[in-house]
Amino acid sequence: MRGALYDIWSERTRGARPMIFNSLTFVVFFAIVMALHHARFFSWHQKKINLLVASYLFYAAWNPPFVVLLWISTVVDWWAAQWMVRAKQERTRKLWMVTSVVVNLGMLGYFKYGGFLLENFVELMKAVGVTYQPPKWDIVLPVGISFYTFATLSYTLDVYLRRAKPAKHFLDYALFVTFFPHLVAGPIMRPTELVPQFERQPKTSLHQVYFGLALITLGLFQKVVLADGFLSPVVEKVYDAREGVPMALDAWVATLAFSGQIFCDFAGYSSTAIGVAMCLGFAMPDNFRFPYAAVGFSDFWRRWHITLSSWLRDYLYIPLGGNRHGQARTYSALMGTMLLGGLWHGASWTFVVWGGLHGIYLAIERWLRGRFSGWRPGPASIVALGLLTYLLVNITWVFFRAKNFTIASTMLTSMAGAAARPVPMIALLPMIYAVVIVGGIVGTHWAMRDKTLEIAVERTPSWLIGGLLGLMALAVVAEQGKGSAFIYFQF
Amino acid sequence: MLRREGALPAGLRQTASDRPGEAQPVPTRDVPRHPWGGIAVAALIILTAGVTAMEVNARRIGLHAGDIDNSEVEWVKERARSEGAAVAIVGDSRILFDTDLARFERLTGVRPVQLAIHGTSALTLLEDVASNENFHGLLIVGMADTMFFQPFDGYGGYVRHRNDFKSPSGHIGIEIDHFLQRRLAFMDSNYRLSVLAHRLDPNFRAGLEGPKDDIWKVQEVGERRQTWMWPRIEQPGPLQDHARWAWKGFKEKFPFTPKLIAKGQARAKAAVDKIRARGGDVVFVRPPSGPQLRVNEEAQVPKAKGWDVLLRNTHSAGVHIDDLPASVQDLTLPEYSHLTRRCSVVFTDAYVRRLTELTPRLKLRADAPAPLTRADCVSTVASR
Repeated sequence: MRGALYDIWSERTRGARPMIFNSLTFVVFFAIVMALHHARFFSWHQKKINLLVASYLFYAAWNPPFVVLLWISTVVDWWAAQWMVRAKQERTRKLWMVTSVVVNLGMLGYFKYGGFLLENFVELMKAVGVTYQPPKWDIVLPVGISFYTFATLSYTLDVYLRRAKPAKHFLDYALFVTFFPHLVAGPIMRPTELVPQFERQPKTSLHQVYFGLALITLGLFQKVVLADGFLSPVVEKVYDAREGVPMALDAWVATLAFSGQIFCDFAGYSSTAIGVAMCLGFAMPDNFRFPYAAVGFSDFWRRWHITLSSWLRDYLYIPLGGNRHGQARTYSALMGTMLLGGLWHGASWTFVVWGGLHGIYLAIERWLRGRFSGWRPGPASIVALGLLTYLLVNITWVFFRAKNFTIASTMLTSMAGAAARPVPMIALLPMIYAVVIVGGIVGTHWAMRDKTLEIAVERTPSWLIGGLLGLMALAVVAEQGKGSAFIYFQF
Repeated sequence: MLRREGALPAGLRQTASDRPGEAQPVPTRDVPRHPWGGIAVAALIILTAGVTAMEVNARRIGLHAGDIDNSEVEWVKERARSEGAAVAIVGDSRILFDTDLARFERLTGVRPVQLAIHGTSALTLLEDVASNENFHGLLIVGMADTMFFQPFDGYGGYVRHRNDFKSPSGHIGIEIDHFLQRRLAFMDSNYRLSVLAHRLDPNFRAGLEGPKDDIWKVQEVGERRQTWMWPRIEQPGPLQDHARWAWKGFKEKFPFTPKLIAKGQARAKAAVDKIRARGGDVVFVRPPSGPQLRVNEEAQVPKAKGWDVLLRNTHSAGVHIDDLPASVQDLTLPEYSHLTRRCSVVFTDAYVRRLTELTPRLKLRADAPAPLTRADCVSTVASR
């Protein structure tokens, strides 16, 4: 009386979830928001208030008291920016900037890294022979805190760096922080990208709404059907196996499947978020640009989670010195940025190693570019380097997905074909589905690497687009997309 | 042509990655030139036609609207109802499938709270009720010998996470989900696209447990966790064959050592004593299993060492299927482990009548219907 059937039963009934895009709750919520937002009898000011209230409800639907965190972030950064502008002395400006950073990173640190720091402190004490038993650290991680902390920090930092002026109206600024399409999992918006859009009512054409709905359909198809339906079970079968060591084939397929799962999960979320915002008349930036067609790691990070990588570059790498202070400083800044970028994803050393590996890759690439600066690769070399990049990215995914270093080590040993007494873990058809889907994703990325989705859509016959969208929507319904939350919510 | 934002090669749009160290401008989002109204209509027609076809097909293959998923949230709701309830039931899927709550109520005037969970040791749930200070009623513990003494608690997570935080969106989502499931037959988690696609694998790859080894749909769940066997499993055919095969004869991979059984007996006694100490009572029920399974269950946990010792140690009354009259023996167990829907009514009728003789906490109503016998379900099934 056991088996996957029962796992299916419990999977769709877990209760502690935010209002995820692939939930029936969101469908109802979004329909109401759309109706209110496009109603003619509300003024633009009232519509913004509606959106703000809706965004707070969106967040409160996970855990109402945590809305207070949003308010703290909003109020502190609003006033920090205001006082920064009014300050006559540079030292005062800096003080307000530091206040904003301390409050925001303080909340992030307390909720996200408090337990992690305590655990490591206990281990450190143990290593020097001191037994320390702290009280149980039982703090709930507020959903999306890493995302909205970075978004709101960029506001005060841009004002401090004189890249941007403070928002003119508190309502516009509060809506920027809270705007529900980007609130819990990005794309990480900058104030200069969104606040100006709130200043005057955008003209939303029906075509925009339709294309927004098309993006939502595409995003949900990626998330619900590909990531949750076909790739996640293959990954879990191996990475969450309770016993046995996987064969090399199983370890590789599971890791490749995870590369597809994490892309479809997160890019699917981003597409849905962009589509939702578009239906409301707002533009959000691209977060992915066909990353598995990257040639090299600097290219990869220009294509993967663009809003995070550019945030880290602008507010961490460049302030750390960037590439303006010699080789040693550049490599240190690179490693520091990637290690912290890893830690941003989760309070675990496996994420730090993931970031560290990317830092090493970037450093090696930088060195090679300097060493072979005259070399211009031909088409075959570009494809070979692209596949090498994808292969090495997959090695890093092992640390990203494994719950601990024991599992990561087991996976890498299996992938190297060096496991003792390995066993098969993935059934043939699920394996074939996963390989076909991941092959399709990588192939699509190469076909699209120098294009945008919009260009590709424009060049496709209308009847085919209608057919594909209908089938994707049908597949989402057939998959009964009420499954798991998006992976990036936990960050 | 589409508007483009930057100076990248044709067809590319600049992103923040192309603008280091500067304030990012308002993004532009192009809308490709197409007759989007027509596209939306076409997509909607396909979606509507597809969903209609799925619903028609779902009803054709025996799925029903109103068959709601076996949900952890529903269990938690029933668990809350059990506080102060007169009668509650715990156990594994056998007592869950084999108890007809309506028949129970017709006989006694009491509708029990159904807390049994598939794949879960009754011990875990017995201990949970023992820890519920507000329960002073009669607890019926359904027992499947091997599952009762197994060294893990199956879906004990329901119990452990009962008080975990549940988000408002989670609650609303479940309610909307159930609202739709009461009206649409195709919304069955066992018939999701990916689940069906995976089940096409007849264990092509040797040496592993594949989708074929999973337990497929065997039950229907109604309101208040009333659970019955899915009619498709009652009828001979590939689904029934698969259900029989998937139990693998109940040959567990771990040994039921005397120590393991003794540990289970001690846990049961402690829990029963705790319930009695505050005025409640406990009785045990052992539903039937087919001879194909019974032989293995007996080999692993003999009745003399399991059931008999359990009743003796806990000083409890119990109704074992073997103790019921011949008129209700040999009920139909299509996949050897659970009764047909109609036979579950007969079994409920028999064990509840017997319980009314064993405990003063259950009384047969004066207007209780006449007793049922094997003929009330077996002949009907056989004639189908």
